[in-house]
Amino acid sequence: MGSEIIVVIVVATALIFDFTNGFHDTANVVATTISTRALPPRIAVGYASILNFVGAFISLEVAATVAKDVVEIQPNSIGLLAVFGGLVGAIAWNLITWFFGLPSSSSHALIGGMVGSVFVAEGADSVFFQEGILGKVMIPALVAPTLAFLIGGIAILVLYKIVGRMRPGPVTGGFRLGQVISGGLLALAHGTNDAQKTMGVITLALVANGTVSADNFHVPTWVVVSAATAIAMGTYAGGWRIIKTMGSRIHKMDAAQGFAAQGAGSAVILAASHVGFPLSTTHTISGAVIGSGAAKRLSAVRWGVAGNIVVAWILTLPMAAVIGALTYLVTRLFGTGAVGPIIVSTLILAGSAVLYTRRSQHAGVPTAVESS
Amino acid sequence: MIGAIVDTHALLQVIWVSILAGVAVTAAYGLAILGATRAVEFGRDRRVGEATVYAVIGIVGLVVFLAAIVFGIVILTGD
Repeated sequence: MGSEIIVVIVVATALIFDFTNGFHDTANVVATTISTRALPPRIAVGYASILNFVGAFISLEVAATVAKDVVEIQPNSIGLLAVFGGLVGAIAWNLITWFFGLPSSSSHALIGGMVGSVFVAEGADSVFFQEGILGKVMIPALVAPTLAFLIGGIAILVLYKIVGRMRPGPVTGGFRLGQVISGGLLALAHGTNDAQKTMGVITLALVANGTVSADNFHVPTWVVVSAATAIAMGTYAGGWRIIKTMGSRIHKMDAAQGFAAQGAGSAVILAASHVGFPLSTTHTISGAVIGSGAAKRLSAVRWGVAGNIVVAWILTLPMAAVIGALTYLVTRLFGTGAVGPIIVSTLILAGSAVLYTRRSQHAGVPTAVESS
Repeated sequence: MIGAIVDTHALLQVIWVSILAGVAVTAAYGLAILGATRAVEFGRDRRVGEATVYAVIGIVGLVVFLAAIVFGIVILTGD
């Protein structure tokens, strides 16, 4: 009975993480579409939410990577508590970076939290540092934003070469129309890569509980549907915050730049999802936006924001790992039953409420490219 | 060394597919806009030959753009 309660808490925590992931990332997905006026804000947010939901059903490769290739969980209560510790580590790091305005990656936080928690719970042998962490997370995490940066830059240069001498009116109209498609693809890409990480973690918990066999790995349909719903609802909820603040916070880029950035970001994320690389969608989209801005005018890029992305990129994995490890140890102080997760969940909810109250007075949406 | 750790085949696949999709497909849409806009302008000036050529460029660009997206989604959902 105790382990069933822990499973329920872990699944609920994972879905809350998924919701906050969507909430946090709405800005990345819809800001470009809204700032170029390709779609009205309300429609852009609703459209992104629907395609986030649909995207979660496209593939299960990333979920398989998260569940099988990064850490190994034993089917017992220690394994369940390790998954819980990892999730709380990720949520806590996301809250801290959100409070201080660092554009961190929810995906790296999730993987970092899992690694730290499983490391102290199950030992170093249960963490696949080389093929898993380095080969499937760290190297793709470095390649993807760089690739998106280059593609975004090359794409906008090619577009300016093709349409640069034409009257801006029809061209802008054409690219705004194109952004309806490229923005939709970006939302689809975000849904598929990010929702799958939550699916992977929930499946890990089910393996630890013995509900899913590690030898016959599969992601249950209810996990896919619930993760898709949570990220879509988070995207929708996050969108309303953007609509309220966008007037003063989102800087404009031209429609061709928006189209190039969205095309580059979605191409990299979808290609990586297909082979099972759990990317940071935040960093990849930012890379594409910065690339399309830098190719036009280097001074258009807010290099301070770009620098913060790099700092957050370096810090997120180790810090989330430390918090995940500490969370597991604190939870274990109360034994291997449900008492520890209940107490830690209550504390993290209280902490979230305090941080949200203090931060919401200064909410904003950081973007990487200045007005052109 | 790196080859033993990272799945280089998968990584290279991500790189070339992303470049092809991100640049070539974007360029195809750029050609669609170029073709459509110029076709309208030449049509307005009653220069039927040029208008037809640009209309074909626009249609081909749009077809390539849409076909590439549909093809990509079919590949993604196929496994």
